[in-house]
Amino acid sequence: MKEKIKVVSVLPNLLGTYGDSGNAVIVSKRLALRGFKVDLVHADLRSGVPSDADFYLIGGGEDGPQSRAAEFLAIDTPLERALDKGAGLLAVCAGFQILGRSFIGPDMAPRNGLGIFGCRTHRFEGPRSVGELVVDPGDAMPGVPMMTGYENHQGITELLDGTRPLGIVRAGNGNNFGPQVDGGVIGRAIGTYMHGPVFARNPKFCDYFLSLVLGHLDPIRDEGLENSHNRLYFERINQVLME
Amino acid sequence: MRKAEARVAIAGAQLVSSLVRSLGIGEGAALPGRILIRLYPEVISGLSKSLPAVLISGTNAKTTTTALTREALSGSFNVTSNITGANMDTGIAFSLVARKVTAVGKDLAVFEVDEAYLPDIGSKLETKIVALLNLSRDQLDRVSETRMTASKWSSFLKLNPHITVVANCDDPLVVFAAQSASEVLWVSAGLNFFLDAYSCPVCGGEIDFSDSGWRCRCGFSRPSPDIEVSRNTVSVFGRPIEMDLSLPGQCNVANSAIALGICQVLDVDLDSAARRMSTISEVAGRYKRVSIDGHEVRMLLSKNPAGWVEVFDMVGDDSSVVVAINAQLADGKDPSWLWDVPFEFLKGKEVFACGERAYDLSVRLHYAEVSHVVEKDSLAAIRACGTRDVSFVGNYTSFQELRNRLNGNDGSLVGLIRSLGNRVFG
Ligand SMILES: [Zn+2]
Repeated sequence: MKEKIKVVSVLPNLLGTYGDSGNAVIVSKRLALRGFKVDLVHADLRSGVPSDADFYLIGGGEDGPQSRAAEFLAIDTPLERALDKGAGLLAVCAGFQILGRSFIGPDMAPRNGLGIFGCRTHRFEGPRSVGELVVDPGDAMPGVPMMTGYENHQGITELLDGTRPLGIVRAGNGNNFGPQVDGGVIGRAIGTYMHGPVFARNPKFCDYFLSLVLGHLDPIRDEGLENSHNRLYFERINQVLME
Repeated sequence: MRKAEARVAIAGAQLVSSLVRSLGIGEGAALPGRILIRLYPEVISGLSKSLPAVLISGTNAKTTTTALTREALSGSFNVTSNITGANMDTGIAFSLVARKVTAVGKDLAVFEVDEAYLPDIGSKLETKIVALLNLSRDQLDRVSETRMTASKWSSFLKLNPHITVVANCDDPLVVFAAQSASEVLWVSAGLNFFLDAYSCPVCGGEIDFSDSGWRCRCGFSRPSPDIEVSRNTVSVFGRPIEMDLSLPGQCNVANSAIALGICQVLDVDLDSAARRMSTISEVAGRYKRVSIDGHEVRMLLSKNPAGWVEVFDMVGDDSSVVVAINAQLADGKDPSWLWDVPFEFLKGKEVFACGERAYDLSVRLHYAEVSHVVEKDSLAAIRACGTRDVSFVGNYTSFQELRNRLNGNDGSLVGLIRSLGNRVFG
């Protein structure tokens, strides 16, 4: 078993508007509860983003900070190097958009993204996508049931060759382009529009994400914690699908 | 519109308002305000001729700062204000209808204004002073992002150079907006939530915060304050004013500093303003102490991460904490922001997780290692507390819900009839 697991919250001061930094807290704790030693790093513009970590979590943010984050991450390409070494990456909303091939800047003009995901994000001319989002991953992620989250964005994300969706949208908009799907998956990198944070709403999705890098993981034996997770999970999914 | 028609519209709105209030289904401003604006679209500008206005806006502390300001100024002016906290166009319109005109030169409006409505309402009134408190994430499903609001404030102030601004120089987004004004009084009112402030609104770089202030590499930096706060002392241009507030928390001393800034601009005696402010002990039910079955409950409202940081300062050492979270339209429908609140502060206390979104809160508390009990009903949770002192903290609708229940109106039809009966016969 690996001695120490390094978890990086990527530029939370820029991409932390929608509570997504909770994902890094949840990843760290679910590793610690399984006996791993965890080093949680909050990477900012001054410290830079390390390329030697095991897990990377990127969240959503406002248009200006989003573009700044994209510029910064393109400099030394720490994320691409980490992914090549086998790291896992979760990117939400604005974080997902900048890891595609292009996204829309605050001046409404397209900008180059990092190209990790094969996708392009355009600006949707209709109403903003705001509300509960339900995503069905089918059999793509063993042990992961239907997922819920909250979306809040103006983007439409077009998936290109090589990147498959995270799942089919059962409620809400998700990528809002062509067949109703959400997010993107390529190798150990996963993108989605689900806030909540998504790992708080969907702990099995979190454990699947961890197992992508660490292989099989035992269940967590903190009953109080897992009960609260389950109650929240079923409450949300019942309420949203009944509406 | 002719005068007679306007008068009919106003009378209609007043009638609806008294109906709403006597039924106990609201504070009586929003619905009649909406009807009024529909019937008489120019109502705000029409009814505010030669009424100078002070507007108070920001994400947090609008209602409390407005209450403090209203009290501080009421010795010198005949103040019209939106006492119930209805702070959009409908609420302002309605407050103007209820206004009583007295001696010329003594009338003044003091309004709290929703941050998104400030440019629109500020242009319709005879605005003399605008106080800008802070900007941080709140109801992201309804209100646009903070940087957008700051730009709109900035354009509004640029178009209205006659307005004097009283602004919090510790918040970079507020400074960005206030810089467009021709005259600014800077108040060091503090900043307790930094996540929305790190990214420079001028250049997009990262702002450096230190004990002495903040600065970006592009040169954008904290203006030096005209008014400063140190514990209970507010210094106005170097002159110390001792504050002896009945309201709890350091944040309320900062709010009173903004109010003193407004008094300074209006040339009102600061000592008597301070004395007046010290008499306020609750604001629209907030900060109030109520007795519930042997428990002494402090009622606190907190709607977002920045508000929570202030609440931690008011929770007593020996107090149990009952937290209620809803996600209705008025709360914002996405409680993801709970993950931006440092709930670790509550470690070691008896804590109850309540409200419609008690499980979202419960998961968050688990990861903060705060042991707690889930009890969706906040009143039941208060009764179950093991301590005499209890701090109840609710977000908007969960706070109103408990307040209504304590007033004997539980929102049901039976409760409605009962409270109506109490009003008529009791
Ligand atoms: Zn700058």
